[in-house]
Amino acid sequence: MRSYLPVARATYMIGLVYRFGFLFAIVGNLVYLGVAYYLWKSIYRHSETLRGLTFNETFLYVGLGSAIFILLKTYADWIIHYEIREGAIAMYLTKPIDFQIYALFANLGSMIMNVTVLTIPTALIMTLIFKVKFAFGPGLFLFPISLLLAFLVSFSIDYFIGIMGFYTESVWGLSATKEIVVTVFSGALIPLQFFPEAIQKVLYWLPFQAIYHTPLMMMTKPDQGLNIFLPMILVQLAWAAILFVLARLFYNQAIKVLRIAGG
Amino acid sequence: MRTLGEYFRLYIIIEAQYIKARMQYRADFIISSIGMFFSSLATLGVFWVILETVPDLAGWSLMEMVFIYAFYMIAISPMQILFDHAWQIRFHVQQGTFLKYYFRPLNMMFYYMSEMFDLKGLTQLVIGIALLIYSSIQLNLDWSLTRFFLLLMTVFSAALVQISIVVAASCAAFWVIDSYPVLGLAWKLREFSPYPMSIFDGAFRFAFTYVIPIGFVAFYPSQLFLRPEEVSSLVYFSPIVGLGLFAITYWIWTKGVNSYTGTGS
Repeated sequence: MRSYLPVARATYMIGLVYRFGFLFAIVGNLVYLGVAYYLWKSIYRHSETLRGLTFNETFLYVGLGSAIFILLKTYADWIIHYEIREGAIAMYLTKPIDFQIYALFANLGSMIMNVTVLTIPTALIMTLIFKVKFAFGPGLFLFPISLLLAFLVSFSIDYFIGIMGFYTESVWGLSATKEIVVTVFSGALIPLQFFPEAIQKVLYWLPFQAIYHTPLMMMTKPDQGLNIFLPMILVQLAWAAILFVLARLFYNQAIKVLRIAGG
Repeated sequence: MRTLGEYFRLYIIIEAQYIKARMQYRADFIISSIGMFFSSLATLGVFWVILETVPDLAGWSLMEMVFIYAFYMIAISPMQILFDHAWQIRFHVQQGTFLKYYFRPLNMMFYYMSEMFDLKGLTQLVIGIALLIYSSIQLNLDWSLTRFFLLLMTVFSAALVQISIVVAASCAAFWVIDSYPVLGLAWKLREFSPYPMSIFDGAFRFAFTYVIPIGFVAFYPSQLFLRPEEVSSLVYFSPIVGLGLFAITYWIWTKGVNSYTGTGS
């Protein structure tokens, strides 16, 4: 643990260099929030609630989704693929560190950076400009835990895709496919409640809902009992553990085929 | 000065070589095409899910949305296929490799953009055309020769609008080196172009019509074919908007390449 914390610190500091970029990202989120506001306003034109959600709840779900989107987008797939292609991965193999834990902490650093410069401003814009009302309840306290578990699930999926770079040239195709599957089936674009019943059933069995849907529901309907929230957290925990182990096993297999051309 | 014909012939020669080289990585092409397939249909999927719950989106039915979306996919394809190298300007500028583009007796923008021909964009184009045909059959649209020419003209203008927005954003690299945030924003805005502009009001509608006219990429021109009776007269200006924007972008590009002095590496 002590040798990995400085990694997180370093990536946090790297994030500080790109202040100019964050400005544009915030403007981007502001525009997105505006578009989502008008879109959902027009959908809720004739009804108070749709699929058990009010306009305020849906907009909170979608808007907060965009605020945490950057946190859960770890880029681990791109970075690992790049390191394999450039041969930089050999550097890590010679050091007494665990590559998976190293990659996890590197992403954790930039995630913490993004909380401060993107998530908090976006949440502020939502409450100040779009007048979103937050409800109170135990869900609010579980939200940070759920977000951290969501990060672990998302990281493991990205890491897994990154390792596939050991076998294939095409990281663009793999990552683009993964990204769309994750964003659509996790609730990042549209609340899962809106999907047709049959599809919803399938989606709740997939790991993707553990990334956005679970933490977002804790904020949208926080005034529910622990009998609702506890199973949700446990499912997240299970997925985080399963995917972490799977990715680890995959790495142990993949490392055997690694050939580095020059460097 | 070379003539347009010469440039055209040159472009064919360059891309033929490029495609031959890319074909070595056939698996890459297949996986990328699958990726393109999914990512280009994501927003349409969202519209479908929404329209399972409510009957229409600001008065537009699912099939009409499919038509608008198909138009959007066709209109963004030329940018994806021909101008994909715009994404790399920031790397070339950072690493100093951009200098080589100054040393050819060719138009610089032509030379630079010709270095990449994005094959997976063809997948997008094919899906777009298929969806356009499918939706116009479902909607019983009748295609006279005039309307077909109108389609070609509006697609051409819409494609120019899209190209201009992305290329102009990528030119930010000449001044700030890392243009990714600007490009990312332009890319994000693009995804809103198939939305019915009638859902917006106030500042958003104004901005999407006059400032960053993404309304001209899909929605306004599609109206011409779906509901010609309620089309706004703005759409007849779309060739002017397209050509005008491209002229501005070309001016920004020229300014950019003239002011670029290298990063010293």
